[in-house]
Amino acid sequence: MHHSDNPQVNRRQWLGASGAGLASLVLPLDAFAQQGGRRVLVIAATQDIPNFDPHIATGYSASFLLRNVYDALVRVEGSPPKPVPELAQSWTVSGDGKTYTFKLNPAARFHNGKPLTADDVVYSFKRALRLNKGNAWMIQGVVGQDSVTAVDAGTVRFNLLKPFAAFLHVLPWIWVVSKADVEANLGSDDGQTYLRTQTAASGGFKVRRAEAGNLYELDRVDGWQKGGGNLTGVIWRIVRETASQRLLIQRGEVHIAVDLTSEDMDALKDKPGVVRIIEPEYRTFSIKMNTRHGPMADLDLRKAVSYAVNYKGILDAAGYADLMVGPLPNGILGHNPQLAVYRTDMAKAKEHLAKSKSPNGGIKLTMAYVSGLEQQRRFGLVLLDSLKQLNIQLDIKPMLWPDMVAACAKPETFPDFFPVYQTANYGDPDNVAFAAYHSSRNGNWQNAVYANPEVDALIERGRAEPDSAKRVAIYRDMQQKVVADAPDIFGVLEKRKLALRDNVKGFQFAPVASNAIECFGLSLT
Amino acid sequence: MSAEMSTPSARRPRSAGREAWRRGLYRFAQSRLSVLGLAIVSLLMLMALVGPWLAPYPEHLEGAVSTAARFQPPSAQHWFGTNEMGQDVFSLVMGGARVSVLAGLAVVLLGALAGTLVGGIAGFAGGWTDDLLMRLSDLKLTIPGLVLAMAVAAALGPGIFNMVVAISLSWWPGYARLVRGEVLARKEDLYVTAARAIGARPARLLLVHILPNVMTPVIVKMSLDMGFAILTVASLGFIGIGVKPPTPEWGSLLSVARSYMPDFWWTAIFPGLAIFLAVFGFNLLGDGLRDVFDPRSRR
Amino acid sequence: MWSYLVRRLLLLVPVLLGLTVLVFAIARLLPGDPVALAAGPNASPAEIAAYGREFGLDRPLWEQYGRYLWGLLQGDLGVSIYTRRPVIEDLRAYLPATLELVLAAMTLAVLVGVPMGLWAAVQRDRWPDYLSRVLALGAISMPRFFLGLLLQLGLAMALGWLPLGGRFPITEELPLRITGLLTVDALLAGNLNAFWVACQHLLMPALAMSLSPLATIMRMMRGSTLEVLQQDYVLTERALGLPQRLIITKYVARNAFSATLTVIGLYFGWLLGGTVLVETVFDWPGLGLYATKAVVTQDFMPIIGVTLVIGTLFVLVNLLVDLLYGLLNPKVRPA
Repeated sequence: MHHSDNPQVNRRQWLGASGAGLASLVLPLDAFAQQGGRRVLVIAATQDIPNFDPHIATGYSASFLLRNVYDALVRVEGSPPKPVPELAQSWTVSGDGKTYTFKLNPAARFHNGKPLTADDVVYSFKRALRLNKGNAWMIQGVVGQDSVTAVDAGTVRFNLLKPFAAFLHVLPWIWVVSKADVEANLGSDDGQTYLRTQTAASGGFKVRRAEAGNLYELDRVDGWQKGGGNLTGVIWRIVRETASQRLLIQRGEVHIAVDLTSEDMDALKDKPGVVRIIEPEYRTFSIKMNTRHGPMADLDLRKAVSYAVNYKGILDAAGYADLMVGPLPNGILGHNPQLAVYRTDMAKAKEHLAKSKSPNGGIKLTMAYVSGLEQQRRFGLVLLDSLKQLNIQLDIKPMLWPDMVAACAKPETFPDFFPVYQTANYGDPDNVAFAAYHSSRNGNWQNAVYANPEVDALIERGRAEPDSAKRVAIYRDMQQKVVADAPDIFGVLEKRKLALRDNVKGFQFAPVASNAIECFGLSLT
Repeated sequence: MSAEMSTPSARRPRSAGREAWRRGLYRFAQSRLSVLGLAIVSLLMLMALVGPWLAPYPEHLEGAVSTAARFQPPSAQHWFGTNEMGQDVFSLVMGGARVSVLAGLAVVLLGALAGTLVGGIAGFAGGWTDDLLMRLSDLKLTIPGLVLAMAVAAALGPGIFNMVVAISLSWWPGYARLVRGEVLARKEDLYVTAARAIGARPARLLLVHILPNVMTPVIVKMSLDMGFAILTVASLGFIGIGVKPPTPEWGSLLSVARSYMPDFWWTAIFPGLAIFLAVFGFNLLGDGLRDVFDPRSRR
Repeated sequence: MWSYLVRRLLLLVPVLLGLTVLVFAIARLLPGDPVALAAGPNASPAEIAAYGREFGLDRPLWEQYGRYLWGLLQGDLGVSIYTRRPVIEDLRAYLPATLELVLAAMTLAVLVGVPMGLWAAVQRDRWPDYLSRVLALGAISMPRFFLGLLLQLGLAMALGWLPLGGRFPITEELPLRITGLLTVDALLAGNLNAFWVACQHLLMPALAMSLSPLATIMRMMRGSTLEVLQQDYVLTERALGLPQRLIITKYVARNAFSATLTVIGLYFGWLLGGTVLVETVFDWPGLGLYATKAVVTQDFMPIIGVTLVIGTLFVLVNLLVDLLYGLLNPKVRPA
């Protein structure tokens, strides 16, 4: 390969020309979405959707697909979230809160054209309870196998085992499948193999193509639900790096990005065409302590640690967030903003340390965290730094989530510190209270070890009590007791950070499952 | 020129050896690249040994954070700027040198040790032992090294030791082949036959007489491999396998810093450059050493 | 020649068999309990046991291997515990992406490396040679993922010339899938626009992958060219007055290239297994990403599957290279 006489000039010219050529030939990428009258909304997310079964799948990515492809009796909308009709046109509740009667919308149809009847609703609930996976925990102990009956083709009745104040809030997460379709494909596992990749649904969208690990495309269905936006389709695109999501939304290659970090939001601050949504939501991030085994079983040590933690550092590292005030998310029904909680106070910390079993520190504690979750790593570093002041060493171990979950099974295997994100799947304090502080959840990652019978009693009363004001009082009591027990280091409530292109219209933020984008009402201009 | 003739026989063997060394050193010093390599490697070794004491913010190496000073660009107080926890990137990079160099060294040593043993036995024993061991190491070569290392390291759990073991598993076949070849070549040498005639046992023959003489090519290969060992360690760190916080490691520093590009570029560029320079230095050095010890491979 | 070919092909069998044994052994001996992982956090011990029975994990090791081998011969590589999809389907989805990347990288490496190596040899000991040696060493030392990041930073983020990652803009339908290699499929379909777009997406990851083999090929080419240049017949031709360029292109290049072939074959195999990091940086849906996911979830069927596929391809490519080498260099062929 010989160079020409003037290599410098020629090479530069050539580079410049080809660069310009490249740039001009890259079609403006917005055009792709608009070709041929198709209006396809592209969402960038990090999570895959390995399973389409509405009674098995969990995770926000699955919730996205399921809430768009399937229907439930009711939906939640708005901030604060309120239940609105979906499959159920109207409903009545008995005085004791144990009987709910839903009248189904007679227009409801499955994608295959067959009408959706009460039988399908009954079948779906029974299947969900039978399989006991996915979101079934939300209705466990409340809805039994015989609780749900079809009064007639258009009416469903629930006779709850116990009154449950949040019942309407959990219904959006139990979806209705076509009984005929599933029974025709039962196989040996109750239709799980079939529904893993196929849908038997009635919602506003159906699955057009699914490429595991890459993207999922939904097509708008001309179905029984009227109204909605002008989308012809939606693509859930898996983009594993949040920085890539940020750049894609900046360049208009995607319309919504759901996994952005605080640094990403800062970088998007004044970028043209980008709308930032930074809203508080009911998602808590705290570090659970092993209250049953090891040094952290000592209440004074837990209090010492709770006072020693550098809360400012955690808040700084979290970016767009608020400090938790107690065990319940700020703003939820029953939350007490005036609650006295632990804040950084080295004097008090040392005071409690002196009363503990290790008055001079000198011990080594372990913290496990999910390998790859950056916020947990940061939290760990702040904790390490804070504990140094008490002369306590921290061993930080990155682990795989399944291994961490397995460690929750017994107090002996549970680490001293265990960071946990608690998402409120439904906008009721019971969600967090029950999942995170009731002893029936011991052995699970949400509440591996903490058990206080007094707190249990309060939580159970709170679930059943129909009167709002009384519930608030119960939850205030509960929060105080939990804080006194200091089972967790109460951390932060990260704000939900989403970015949209400005040509996306109709988006309404709700502090529950806001990253599982509900697409029916969205439009692209 | 004075007629200075060294007396024959008594002094010749020693001075011949030393002459070879001097010639080698001279040739080495001739190549500017090799000297540059030596300089870089020496700097690295220095950082590995005393880095934690020389670092401007040694507490950051232990995990201290300073969240008020996050993401500061390079300045006089922080030559390489600060990262997402306010830690000094320069100190972290210096600390990372120790991790990378030690881990790389461990990998190469383990691989060389295992490979030498296998290759030595194969070459010496011959017959079907040789065949079996060589087939095994050939097969090993066909398995993608990085995937294997990832799988083993992930299964063993976090920690530098596990990562080193995982990587060395793919490293030994190269040494096995090399040593086997050398052993085969030396097996029939005079001194070996002599020792055997006296009645020395096979193990002693192998360990005491043969292996020490095949060390030179092994050492050259080790120096050539150091660079890639460091690269592999950084690669695993980049995926998130290997060290646990707060240990600074260049690959994991780079992996975390990816999300902060392009705005906070210094968190990524400097660890990346460090990896490059370290590998480059060792490659230069290794190249130079190979020229010195194995002139056949030159030009 | 034929007997050699047949013998080599027959030798493939024990090699591949040995590969399966080795890979299976390693995967099964790894600590960790993939069944418990897959059964999920809410599974009871009875459910975990049922899962284990379903996947045949309660049988003795040799029996598991036997079942696996039998399945292999029928094209069944097992099922991924995590996705519950047959591994062969996953591989069919992900292999072409990695193949395309590796082929592109090797093409770049050869197209640039071979001529540069020739040139360095011809310009021996002058500054271009010296420079090429430094560049080669630098290229081998550059971590692929760092280079990928830099390319992304420069060409995609700062200058906006190339897309950030992925293989193709996702709102577009892919060209009809024949080989799975987007560029080839686009050409076969006559869709030049799609071809161009696919190339844009391919360029940066291929560049990042190509630097290492490029450097080595260049050095090899240089070395073997120099060797050939010393040969008697070349000196004879020079003495006879043939022009330099003719000598090089007609005789030297061909003989020098055959030695480089071995390196190309080796690198092809290495690259196949080494795409993990570049695929991570560029969100390239290939075997590397698939393997990483499998490793992280300790899903050993995909790990075995990926390792087997790459190992087999490696063996096959090297066989091909050996045969080609024999073709190009009759002296090497056995009688």
